Amino acid sequence: MADEKVDVLIIGSGHSGGMAAKVLTEKGISCLMLNAGPVADANKDTEVKPAYALPYRGFKQPGQLPHVFQSSEFNANTWVDEKEVPYTYDPGSVYNWVRVRLFGGRSLFWSRQSFRLSDYEFKGKSHDGYGDDWPISLSDVAPYYARVEAIFRVRGHADNLPQYPDGNFIVDDSPWSGCFQRFVDAGKKKGVPVCKARSSEGLNGLASSVNLLLPDAFATGKLRAIPNVVVRQLTVDKNTGLVNEAHFVDRISRREMSVKARVVILACGTLESTRLLLNSEIANSSGVMGHYLIDQTYGAGISCSVPEARDGKSNSHLMGGSALVPRFRNITTKSDKFLRGYALNCFSSTGGMDPRNFAEYGVPLQRKLESYHGSGFYTGIMGEVLARYENHVRINKDVVDAWGIPVLHIETKYTDNEFNMARDAVDTSIEVAEAAGFEVVSKNYQPNPPGYSIHELGTCRMGNDPKTSVLNKWSQSHDIKNLFIVDGSSFVSSGWQNPTITLTTLSMRASEYLAEQMRQGNV
Amino acid sequence: MQRRDFVRGMLAASVAAKSAVAQKPAAPPVKMPKPAAIAPGPVPWMRGLMDVKPLPVSSLVPDQVAETSASFFSATQLATLRHLGDILQPPYNGYPGASEAGAPEFLDFLIGASPAEIQQMYQSGLDRLESEAQQNFHKSFATVDAAQADKLIRPWLRSWQNEHPPTEPYERFISLVQNDVRAATENSQPWAEAAHKAGKPTPNVDLYWYPIDPDLRREQALGGPSMCSTKH
Repeated sequence: MADEKVDVLIIGSGHSGGMAAKVLTEKGISCLMLNAGPVADANKDTEVKPAYALPYRGFKQPGQLPHVFQSSEFNANTWVDEKEVPYTYDPGSVYNWVRVRLFGGRSLFWSRQSFRLSDYEFKGKSHDGYGDDWPISLSDVAPYYARVEAIFRVRGHADNLPQYPDGNFIVDDSPWSGCFQRFVDAGKKKGVPVCKARSSEGLNGLASSVNLLLPDAFATGKLRAIPNVVVRQLTVDKNTGLVNEAHFVDRISRREMSVKARVVILACGTLESTRLLLNSEIANSSGVMGHYLIDQTYGAGISCSVPEARDGKSNSHLMGGSALVPRFRNITTKSDKFLRGYALNCFSSTGGMDPRNFAEYGVPLQRKLESYHGSGFYTGIMGEVLARYENHVRINKDVVDAWGIPVLHIETKYTDNEFNMARDAVDTSIEVAEAAGFEVVSKNYQPNPPGYSIHELGTCRMGNDPKTSVLNKWSQSHDIKNLFIVDGSSFVSSGWQNPTITLTTLSMRASEYLAEQMRQGNV
Repeated sequence: MQRRDFVRGMLAASVAAKSAVAQKPAAPPVKMPKPAAIAPGPVPWMRGLMDVKPLPVSSLVPDQVAETSASFFSATQLATLRHLGDILQPPYNGYPGASEAGAPEFLDFLIGASPAEIQQMYQSGLDRLESEAQQNFHKSFATVDAAQADKLIRPWLRSWQNEHPPTEPYERFISLVQNDVRAATENSQPWAEAAHKAGKPTPNVDLYWYPIDPDLRREQALGGPSMCSTKH
């Protein structure tokens, strides 16, 4: 029987767990990583197939993955099946919890958009009086951002906007396509900044924990990893008050096991980390664990056609490319309809347009699609959802998952702030697009349900006051000093930015702090 | 035969043979040819499998040789869906229409396996088309001409964006049935064959992920433990 006590136990293998493993092992610290799912091998587990060869012709299997809008029949086996790991919600407040338990987690499938938070997010309360400031500012995090951007090879253009902080970029000096130049010019006249998007290039097309972070950790010889084990509980030594053991179950055999550790790092993906802590009934002297669940609004936007690109005249000089409109509301002016702000993802396509953009059918629809082919231009919102105490998760002891672990009940709603923001995003998009000479063919004011963005954040927020926060500014539990949470659950506010680069940066920062504390014997 | 039964049988045969030999009088030694070496004990079940080349079985899609047995919609509903499919997605430019692609029959299968609210939306939508055809033209929707069908369909057409179909129930039905008919048609093998004839690559091709081993759903399909439960 093993009686080993590992130095650092890392639970989760996505970007945040991978970064923790890389930082710690490169400093000579031994780590054990547990992951709830199997190791995927794209060479073994995949095959290129036409939709007609699939059992459901490319439609999703009815009833499967009802809350994973991103799923298709092609990729259905990569997502967590909510029949296997269910969660509950009130019928009127649907939440889309989108999860991946493969080794590498959601880092295998993310969109690569790579933005820094600005002090309009870190110090949001100081700017507009709402919510709480983070206990850190951009200047605390900027050096770590720069190193993460180097690892992820972020391509971008310096724009010198305080709400869109520049970074350590592979410089994007590519010219705008014709349609984007028109959109840029129209935006400028209306005070809407249109900038180059910023994206992780990674290596060989992939910017995942499994190719950018974990190989370095394994190369040190200091990282061991166990796939297919589901952690059900952490326990605390009653004498020291420190977390000392993780109890887990083998995913397949259901054999119950446990491992002792000097330090535990949670990187399970926001809500799974919180679920584990709530089930363990630890680290919550503040009582705020599970509260302030936030995400970002997606789904509202417009589809346009650039008239000059129709009827076979589309070409790569006129069409194609992408842009980002960073937050511009409530920076130097104040909206009377909503707090905070949104960004717009913009892209243009030289391919076909979605037939749903047209209220037509039959041969006339086919002719319209042929005429409009290659003329598409689109915008979509990425909006900040305000942090609210009442948006929360809690344990539902009446329902358990496949391993008998109680599930989460998720209770969250959007309010007029989010809906008004979405409306403004669509109206502004229309205004700029029409000024650029585009035809708006469809629009949608309704945000997708909470959770859709797969940017769930908060529920173990960081702060200076142990009475109102779960973690300190180093992502370390106020209550248990050898417990760290390095995924998105530490976020105090969501901002509009895709959170991956920030949470990976915070994981790097926390892990370096931990390594130093271990060196000094403080942890 | 279970493996243990096989082993028992072998052992019993061996014991019986020894007993029979023991009861016979001693015979002069006979020079026998040297027996071929045999494996000790039963032949391993997997012997030789690694050397077998896979049979040249190409993946044959059932639709290529068989028709879907429609069983969910009523005869009238299915007739309505077939005619609606031909109107929404007719053959065009060498590509098949909904009927040629077997889209109505496929949707009968798909909707029959779908959650109740989807089934109800489809059934009531098809019933309404039939009812309005009878009311306006005194004939079944399955026999209305293009102009008559247009009068019933066009007022309910809406443009919409992904995951946000209209919320008004009948607009929603018209929007979703059009989307489904189109997808079922364009994701069919006849559509892919038409693309090949036009010198284009196979459309709607993507990376399919098999269940990633080990996978609990397969375990359950084989009668394993249930995946989750509600405590009482």
